[in-house]
Amino acid sequence: MFNNCKRMSTIASFLLVIALLAGCSGKSADTDTSQNEGSKASGKKKVEIALWLTPQWKGVFDATEPDADYDSFFKYAADKFAKQYDKYDAKVNVQVVAGDQRDELLNVNLNGGTPPDIFFESVFAMGDYAHRGALVPLNDIVDDAAKQDIDQGYWDNVTYGKDKEIYFYPFSHNPGTLAYNADMFRAAGLEKEIGGENEIKTWTLDEYNNILKTLKEKLPKNTYPMGLYALNNQGDTWNLAYLRSFGSTFFDNNGSIALDDDKGVKAAAWMKSIYDAGYTNPGAESVSSNDANAMFQNQQLAISFTNSILFNNAKADMKAGKSQKFDIRLANIPSESGNPLAFTYVVGASVFKTGDAVKTEVAKDFVKFFSSDPELVKASKNSVPVRSSVVKELKDQYPLFAAYDANAPNMFSFTGNVPGYSELRQVLYPELQAMYVGEKTPEQAVKDYQSKGNAVIQKARENSVIK
Amino acid sequence: MKLRNQIWKDNVTGYLFIMPQLLLFLLFIVYPILEGIRLSLYKVQYKQETFVGFDNYITLFHDPVFFKSIVNTVVFVVFIVILTVGFALFVSSAVFDKNAKYVSFIRGSYYIPVMVSMVVMSMVWGFLLNPANGLISYGAREMHLSTFNLLGNKNTVLPVVIFVTFATNVGQAIILYIASMIGVPKDLFEAAEVDGASRLRVIFQILIPLVKPTTIYITIINIIAVLKIFVVIQMLTGGGPNNATVTMMYYLYNNAFKYNQLGVASAVGVIMFIITLLLSVPQLRAMFKEK
Repeated sequence: MFNNCKRMSTIASFLLVIALLAGCSGKSADTDTSQNEGSKASGKKKVEIALWLTPQWKGVFDATEPDADYDSFFKYAADKFAKQYDKYDAKVNVQVVAGDQRDELLNVNLNGGTPPDIFFESVFAMGDYAHRGALVPLNDIVDDAAKQDIDQGYWDNVTYGKDKEIYFYPFSHNPGTLAYNADMFRAAGLEKEIGGENEIKTWTLDEYNNILKTLKEKLPKNTYPMGLYALNNQGDTWNLAYLRSFGSTFFDNNGSIALDDDKGVKAAAWMKSIYDAGYTNPGAESVSSNDANAMFQNQQLAISFTNSILFNNAKADMKAGKSQKFDIRLANIPSESGNPLAFTYVVGASVFKTGDAVKTEVAKDFVKFFSSDPELVKASKNSVPVRSSVVKELKDQYPLFAAYDANAPNMFSFTGNVPGYSELRQVLYPELQAMYVGEKTPEQAVKDYQSKGNAVIQKARENSVIK
Repeated sequence: MKLRNQIWKDNVTGYLFIMPQLLLFLLFIVYPILEGIRLSLYKVQYKQETFVGFDNYITLFHDPVFFKSIVNTVVFVVFIVILTVGFALFVSSAVFDKNAKYVSFIRGSYYIPVMVSMVVMSMVWGFLLNPANGLISYGAREMHLSTFNLLGNKNTVLPVVIFVTFATNVGQAIILYIASMIGVPKDLFEAAEVDGASRLRVIFQILIPLVKPTTIYITIINIIAVLKIFVVIQMLTGGGPNNATVTMMYYLYNNAFKYNQLGVASAVGVIMFIITLLLSVPQLRAMFKEK
């Protein structure tokens, strides 16, 4: 009897271990089965790919569509793609990831061997993955028609190394500017500084300083002239632009940071001076760009950062009654020389090396499809289209396209195309925080940023797979 | 030979019973530790690993932010553990012998924050402390206290993080202390009462010495928990201002997931493991000795 009990418990223990092991491998077995069944039904092999994107525009073509969301476009594009795709029974799983979680998510998934097949994002934020050898070149899906329709400047943004490998398929571009609340300007008696509705107003730095001063004096309590933030790396391109406002070129010819000179220090000192004078929201060192944007939409800030997508989304939210209505307009980032500081984010898709040839093939085909389909590329109107054909077709409906185009001569490349840009971004905001809290002088902050930043670039250059 | 077989037969069931736990322990605890030690000696680039010896450790010891993270972690451990043990002892010794319903109410009140996710707690504090539109900053401005940014001042940010973590942790310690104090034999208190001992004397000379094993246990688990302090830093300060609140765990996270320096991050992990081990061994020895 006792022996029987013993035998039973021995068997039970074994069963438990086997069940545990089976539990670990159960998922993959299920997936295989469902894929096989799917293949049998349609006659084509079923292939599932993952597309991740950071929030861009809402809706398929317009944020005013019912149930418009950040993934609407890609769900629609995936459906259209699957219907006409004859190679495989393709299914695209679309996932929206937060911009400030992008690198964490990608690094975890890359190291775990489960990167997404496609990532749709601003190119500047993804360049490092090309340098790390995690992306597949897309030269084979870029045809002559696309090369002719998309300006060479955009192709330069997405082409790397001596072999001219294209790692991103440009879809749209997203110019960064300032946005201002014209109602608050009027209330402060600044009517003459307000530009047209379809104009990107350019102020000189003196005019801008005067605007900030007047707003500070005239605005009610708990509202501030300008948004300033340095909590993390989000929205840091505007901080980089402010650091160029006294004429610094930022990078030298060798691709190293060259901010530590008279011009760079003057710019940092200007940022500190407007902060100390109370021309900005308080606590810039612990305020994020998201906070600043929310404050602008709540009319607590008169001037804030924006890009074409944020601007359009803000307008759509006002129209839909999701946020307070006010007269929102665009302005350039001012500089001492009087020439505006302009930059743009080229937005496009990249394909990750997953090690699965079939998935890579489908991913490339899908990228080519939504980046060149005559109907789908029209969605790029939510920012600014990179395709001349789309701009030509829509320019009458969207007069701001011409205003953005007029800024082209003042564009600067904020990444300098240096390797290690993602890590470089982590170096700037602690220095700005130190400057705002008075722990470092502007001179010291600029000096430390340059030395730490150049060390990051140097290390990344040594490790880059792109020669 | 026969005897050995007999011993094996007698014990096999026991081993089989602990085998699932042992397998999981080896798979999820021992293997990651060994893999972490291995990775700390390599430079990892996407799918390529290069042996670099102790280079990652040398990089760490040349980085002032790493030293700052060690100092900050030690400050957090010391203050949070002292506050937690001190406050939990104070509350528990004040209420343990009161009406059972009252004791349950106190226990429940302090335990609520323990049940709420640290992420949620940090977000709520973040809303309250936001310098631009947070409630506390708003109140301060209304009272004409000029700019009020507790998270942006390196002298106030550490106490804020310490307070938020302490407030979330202390409920657990109070529960353990009350349970332990209720178990102290009543005749000791009666004897003290007969001898005319004051309540303060009873607490310091009877209660606190008799709950020493609980104190050691609470100290150990809190030290280990606070050494890994991360969520509140990530959600509330992002390590700022200017790395004033970077802890070792946050530094590890940044290297592993933001900078993709897996080798350096593993080296931090190994150092943290050694520190935790060194801190725990004497405490565990003391605890087992008591028993």
